[in-house]
Amino acid sequence: MWQKNAYLKKTRQGNVVKVVREHYLRDDISSGTPLDPQCSPSDAKLSADARHYLVVDTNVVLKATDFLEHSSIDDVIVPSIVLQEAKSRNLSAYHRIRALAADPQRRFYVFANENHRDTYVKQKDGELINDRNDRAIRAVVSWYKQLLGDKMQVILLSGDRENRRLAREECGAEACSVQEYARMRTDDKELLDLAAHWGQQEFDEDDESEGKSKKRRRIYEDHRPLSSLTQGIKNGTLHQGVLNVSRYCWHEGFVPSSIGQEIRIEGVSRMNRAMAGDVVVVEIVPDNVASRSGSRPGAADGPDADEEDDGYDVGDETTGLEASAVHGVDDAICLQGPQDDDSSTKPPSGQVVGIIKRAWRTRGYCGTIMPPRDGKDFVPGRARWVRFRPKDRRFPHMMMRTAQADQLLGKNIVAVVEEWQSHRRLPDCRYVRTIGTVGDTEAETDVLLMENDIATSPFTPEVLACLPPLPWDVGPADVADPHRRDLRHLCVCSVDPPGCKDIDDALHVRLLPNGNYELGVHIADVTHFVKPETALDTEAAQRGTTVYLVQRRIDMLPKALTEDICSLRGNVDRLAFSVLWEATLEGDVLHDKTTFTKSIIRSRAALTYEEAQTRIDDDRLTDDVSMSLKALARFGQILRKRRMEKGALELASPEVKLSIDTESLNPTDIGLSQVRLANKMVEEMMLLANSTVAEKILSRFPSSACLRRHPAAPRSKYEPLLKALEPHGVSLDVTSNKRLAETLDGAVLPGDPFFNTIVRMMATRCMNEAQYFGAAQYSRSEYYHFGLAMDLYTHFTSPIRRYADCLVHRFLAASMDQEVLPASAHDVDTVKGVTDNLNVRHRNAQFAGRASVTLFTLIYFKQKGTVTEAARVVGLRKKSVIVFVPKYGIEGMVGRILSGGEEAAKWDYVMNKSGNGVVSQSGKRSLKVFDSVTVRIEVKTTQGYEEEVIMSLVDEDAAQSADADMDTADAMDET
Amino acid sequence: MEYVTPEGLRTDGRRPRELRKLGCQLGTLESADGSATCEMGFTKVLAAVFGPRDTAGKLHPDRAVVRCQVATAPFSAGERRRRGKRGPLATEQAATIRETLAENIHLELLPRTQIDLYFHVLQADGGILSTCLNAGMLALADAGIPLKDLVGSCTVGYLESTPLLDLNYIEESGGGPLLPMAYQPNMDKILMLQMDKGKLPVETFEVLATLATEGCRAVTGQIRQSLMNHTKQLAVARGSV
Amino acid sequence: MSERGPVVCPGDRLGQESNYIAGAGTYGREGFIYASIVGRQEVTSAQGDAEKKLPIVTVTSMKGGGKVVPQIGDVVTGRVTRLRQQAAVVDILCVGERALHTKFQGQIRTQDVRAKEIDKVTIPTSFRPGDLVRAEVLSFGDANFYYLSTAKNELGVVYAESPAGVPMVPISWQDMQCPQTHVRERRKVAKVVQNTQEASK
Repeated sequence: MWQKNAYLKKTRQGNVVKVVREHYLRDDISSGTPLDPQCSPSDAKLSADARHYLVVDTNVVLKATDFLEHSSIDDVIVPSIVLQEAKSRNLSAYHRIRALAADPQRRFYVFANENHRDTYVKQKDGELINDRNDRAIRAVVSWYKQLLGDKMQVILLSGDRENRRLAREECGAEACSVQEYARMRTDDKELLDLAAHWGQQEFDEDDESEGKSKKRRRIYEDHRPLSSLTQGIKNGTLHQGVLNVSRYCWHEGFVPSSIGQEIRIEGVSRMNRAMAGDVVVVEIVPDNVASRSGSRPGAADGPDADEEDDGYDVGDETTGLEASAVHGVDDAICLQGPQDDDSSTKPPSGQVVGIIKRAWRTRGYCGTIMPPRDGKDFVPGRARWVRFRPKDRRFPHMMMRTAQADQLLGKNIVAVVEEWQSHRRLPDCRYVRTIGTVGDTEAETDVLLMENDIATSPFTPEVLACLPPLPWDVGPADVADPHRRDLRHLCVCSVDPPGCKDIDDALHVRLLPNGNYELGVHIADVTHFVKPETALDTEAAQRGTTVYLVQRRIDMLPKALTEDICSLRGNVDRLAFSVLWEATLEGDVLHDKTTFTKSIIRSRAALTYEEAQTRIDDDRLTDDVSMSLKALARFGQILRKRRMEKGALELASPEVKLSIDTESLNPTDIGLSQVRLANKMVEEMMLLANSTVAEKILSRFPSSACLRRHPAAPRSKYEPLLKALEPHGVSLDVTSNKRLAETLDGAVLPGDPFFNTIVRMMATRCMNEAQYFGAAQYSRSEYYHFGLAMDLYTHFTSPIRRYADCLVHRFLAASMDQEVLPASAHDVDTVKGVTDNLNVRHRNAQFAGRASVTLFTLIYFKQKGTVTEAARVVGLRKKSVIVFVPKYGIEGMVGRILSGGEEAAKWDYVMNKSGNGVVSQSGKRSLKVFDSVTVRIEVKTTQGYEEEVIMSLVDEDAAQSADADMDTADAMDET
Repeated sequence: MEYVTPEGLRTDGRRPRELRKLGCQLGTLESADGSATCEMGFTKVLAAVFGPRDTAGKLHPDRAVVRCQVATAPFSAGERRRRGKRGPLATEQAATIRETLAENIHLELLPRTQIDLYFHVLQADGGILSTCLNAGMLALADAGIPLKDLVGSCTVGYLESTPLLDLNYIEESGGGPLLPMAYQPNMDKILMLQMDKGKLPVETFEVLATLATEGCRAVTGQIRQSLMNHTKQLAVARGSV
Repeated sequence: MSERGPVVCPGDRLGQESNYIAGAGTYGREGFIYASIVGRQEVTSAQGDAEKKLPIVTVTSMKGGGKVVPQIGDVVTGRVTRLRQQAAVVDILCVGERALHTKFQGQIRTQDVRAKEIDKVTIPTSFRPGDLVRAEVLSFGDANFYYLSTAKNELGVVYAESPAGVPMVPISWQDMQCPQTHVRERRKVAKVVQNTQEASK
């Protein structure tokens, strides 16, 4: 009953150590089946009426996880040794099996075989660990067979042929591989498809060793072993970092490194199977070594390419609109650097020599499969390799084996990456599920939501149970609450975009007897309804933020709260959290008079920006609301002026606004949204509220307060932009935000009103993202918000749509001693986990929003037909340029020239010597960043069924080409 | 690192409230006045008692002076390491053991003498302090030094929101709080309770203290049994049953 | 008459203080008597001339006798190891009739050698190294030695050997004679009750 486990282990320093551990064997481990009289009902996870019990082997758990997760698979016994092995090899597979075992709807039982007296197997002398573990699994099968006898069939499910053979011989038990089992289960055809992936392959675990890979030609360099990687990092010859990939080309990327500069990785072979987000180790390659860049990696593709040679290139460079505007600020390859510049500031090139941690998404990648290049159709039911193209162009194409290729064509599907071995050109992936048809708006929306990890399932009953019953009104308990002030007598109003139903903020202003003004911001008291450690709170924390798509909104909180109970609608009593300031006529805020209080308010009017602006402008209106608005606008202007003096930045992110026909959901217009004085007024008041609250919660919770910062970007990030501005004679001073603001104001070209907007847009792209953080994560000086020029900032004013604001509400209430924070709120690591998640959710929501706009833009242009518009060049690449169309606010890559309405034979521009422009081969035309061009925008069907918005450069001089040729010829003669 | 599986088993197969295999042997060192070896799981400590004997140095006219020294053998852990008797850990452990065990001795019956306790940790796998206290208790009883009561000791911890009894080395390294306790069963008195490494809410602390008391009671039962058996063996050997 | 009981451990309750007297190996607390060592419990009926007529409960260790240490007033037997100007250093070997498990050191100072004429005492005329003496523990002394006294008739040298290696015979309270060489030596001699000293006087 008491065993000793002794084995030798190698420590990190390289010493060999003998590890001796106790191992207790028990007699109280349940079998988990009601067919066993000794098993208590609470332990009986398996069913008495099952077809059979399955005992799974490790290889099945690791490789066929999706298969096991399928709803028709149940009554599975997972020996604990299998779980242990899975945990050490693939943590995500381990977690998935654990989730299955914990799910009360599924019948997966974890049997602790290693500690059961009857199934414990001791390693024999000279026996390999793997063999011993296999023996242990077979012992489990035997034990169950003996226990159950004829009452139930016990089957071993294993991918190891040898294990199956021994199970049949030694235990007399049934054993099958996954495919055999799927064939056995005639009741569910889907299982066959899931299992088809492995075809005739058997995965003997020894095959993963050197032997097999030597037979195949190695295409990529093998990754170096971990010990040599750590050695290299330690002595500085290698660098570790996260791989960022260009949104336009999956085999171009960079790794930020400790040496300060980014290390560029160009070319498929230098990428060496690394993918976006992986933690990689790179080695710097000297500049004189030519990169074997381009779409085909080095070594001859010879016999390997057989199955894969569907005629496609490894990865096409993206064209069209989809590549654009999706991945925002953190892409610094917008402006391509020069090729042969000898300047020392040129970033070094490198190659990937090892991958520390893969960032493969367990939820999978959305995408489509490509039809066979030879034009033939897929044969139904025949398993074959197909090419999977992920929607996110940062990832390479993948090879997928499926038997239902004909059904998957034209559909948006989800695939999971399996592995990428060095003799395969592309990674292998596996089909998981279908989302919908390509082109169908809802399916496409689901795709972009899935890509950005946004949950769309409706709120569960547990969550909805946390809401107060409807109809809800402010009740006597709320009025009697001593912490709550009755401010219903104040003239409060709210200003929001049109059609806004979730109103979280309202304002008021009034003259005080002492001649000063009282300013007030009232925010919906969401945390009164969303209490910590409830299902509602957990769900909101997970979602992190409301996601705004074009046609719908995915709420962080249930509609009942967002549109009714919390929303500060007009002419109803509502609960709020208020911040009240006293300010002089000149706009000086008396900070020691600031008060915070929970309150009850009654908004007099819920206005749109346009309505508010009208009221402000109309001098005839003298009612309370209009007078308040005018006063607020005045204060707003003063506050804004002060902020600008401190160096706050006026950024231009072109908010593309789509007007949609409410019935057909088709877009009727696209344009840039307008910013009015009313918008700015609201913005200033919100900023004031946010910064005031930030101070208060930090003073009380100096290590756990949730704040928001915006770190300044290093000069190197602005380099490409500064370089592009040189030829236009414009320069920006990026030494401080004040100087940047000033020089941005001065960045104008006479006669070119849009120039300034573009420069601001591109300057914004160079900056870092703002982020949420817990106060303990950074030092005080790092709390600075660069864009707003504030020392201290947080988000307080939108708790209906942002979870961070809910947290800040709780901190504020706790700092007023009205609430007690849960212990977890003080734990620095928990706070970091929460803020990291919020940052991710915020970013994902932005991407999803932009992707939704892109989708509807596509629909709009499809309806509208072809248009020709003016555009500005905003980026240069080797084989294309990137343009921005101001009228529609869209951006995309142009890689084709049209002359005389027809597509030219090829893109004949090349990068010039100084790297800040492209020149046509003939020398006739050149393009620099900020140049004006004309583009034709149209929707085309590519890859057989996908639609994309394609932009092509219209060569205006083509009509006069004949004359121009002569001119150039003359010119050349003269030189 | 998972310390308690969802099935309720720890890394070595025990359930959270189970003690490890406990072994006690008396009289293992012939040259000492009293000696004992105590094993809790793989942790093995040899305790030797010399005394009461003539003082060498400080004397106290009213009672005996207790001195204590803990030495950890270099081969006790996985990697061979010289830790010696003078390290800060050894000094602190020795002081705790001395105060705890001295509290249980009728010192006033042995004035102007000194009692020396020597501990040698032969194998270290968690719970060293508790094993030393148990070994010391046995050795003192073996030496015939007048004691007030039996003393039993065990350590409890708190990992993954589960109270654990008698932690091994892996669990002790888990970063959770550790509470060694020494307890006198007949007087129902907690002689020593310490907490290392961590913060606990008061309610959890109460749960842990209760668990530790039960664990110590079980340990004293075992100690008592060993003492009885040893005495009976001696009686048989002497011929007087 | 004593009754042998079961084996007990320290902390076991043996009885009430109102019913028994706490003997060796036990202690009393809050009205109860507890064992303080591991051993066999024994109950001895009351001694004839004891004050209270209560039986005595003791616990006897299997190893034979508990640990004893010299207490103030004990009569101890020891061997003289060396002589100093002002004292004789003695290794205490027994307390009463029981041998000690480890030696303790004591010294007999000049003023404690005998009761009368203490200023005329010299150490070499009272003791020699190798003598066995019986003495009484005066006090715990200092860190190095117990203070012993032989200032009573029955205390002093009980055994000494002559230079010839022969045990000497006591002549008087301050003389001993070797039977072989008939040489007399000065010692502070103990008056042992049932020996020939009385008779020779």
